[in-house]
Amino acid sequence: MNDNYLWDRTGKPDAEVQELEELLGTLRYQPRPLEIPATIKVRSNRMFLPLAIAAAIALVMIGAGLWIRFANSSAHTTIQAAGGSPSVPVTNQTPPPESATATSTPPSEVITPRRDSARKTALARNVRQPIRVTAPALTEQELAEKEQVLVALRLLSAKLNLVQRKSQGLPQVNTIRNQHKMG
Amino acid sequence: MIEAEATAEMLLMTGAFRSPQTIDEPIEQTLVRAVLDGEHDRFGRLYEMYAPLVHGVLLARVPRDEVDDLVQDIFLHALRKLHTLRNPTAFGPWIAMIARNRAMDFHRASRDTVEVNEHTAIAKPLNRTAKEVLDLIRQLPDAYRETLVLRFVEGMTGPEIASRVGLTPASVRVNLHRGMKMLREKIGAVARP
Repeated sequence: MNDNYLWDRTGKPDAEVQELEELLGTLRYQPRPLEIPATIKVRSNRMFLPLAIAAAIALVMIGAGLWIRFANSSAHTTIQAAGGSPSVPVTNQTPPPESATATSTPPSEVITPRRDSARKTALARNVRQPIRVTAPALTEQELAEKEQVLVALRLLSAKLNLVQRKSQGLPQVNTIRNQHKMG
Repeated sequence: MIEAEATAEMLLMTGAFRSPQTIDEPIEQTLVRAVLDGEHDRFGRLYEMYAPLVHGVLLARVPRDEVDDLVQDIFLHALRKLHTLRNPTAFGPWIAMIARNRAMDFHRASRDTVEVNEHTAIAKPLNRTAKEVLDLIRQLPDAYRETLVLRFVEGMTGPEIASRVGLTPASVRVNLHRGMKMLREKIGAVARP
């Protein structure tokens, strides 16, 4: 048998294969028009682009919303960790009806409820309470150290200004005073 | 064993399927995109190109008088589901698989069909008709009978079968030669007194 003739009809024709071709060729597909019903629905590619864009926008918005919410909640936790328990002004709280002393409390006064109850209240109401971070009182020594830090920062700022002027070629102004003392 | 091997070869469809006559932009890809963009009349060209393939795949599996209607049904189904075709260049393998599945559904639905077995085939006279040879081919394993029908009935060459069905040329060549050997044995068995 000629292998090439069976494969791609090249080479010497094989009698047996030719006989099969002739015999079975009578069953070959007879072209017939395809009748497409008018009611047939074909999904178009054009539908996918707007849907894909809308889905992408929705996903981005959901992601951004979740990120902002997460960022806010983490910032809230950081402030709480740094400044202690959150303080909630009385003006935003519903005064208890039986307490007459609470109504006479001055508006600037703040109350400091327990951390857990404050968080639960904020979550339940979905309202962000204003936070007041009260500065701690400083001793004399701490005030002196603070003053030293401020002087050092001023000196550093002046030196940076001088460097900037030198680098830009501007006329120098003797703004650094007493540097021989500060050393 | 041979059948399992042939089935495995059948399943090894090449990923980068391309029609041999087009290199840069396969015609199937252009036509599929045009149909999906709303030009439904372009589907007629795909039908003309692939109707012989679907006809051959069906003829290897279902009774001949059912084949023409099934070809129409399969192409209408393909038109409805065309948006699910991920790789437009693989239209041929895709619609061939639809045809195979439809043939299986046909046999599930009509369990009472009388299958032609070797015993009934041997009882036939020696001067065989096309239908009788086709019945012998239908007794071969799936991959062999489909390849032989496409070769002898639809008149495709081996490379054409490979490109349209999505098999490698080597697999089609193996299927052709093994299928031809088994067919010859069956014809010889029939010819023996």
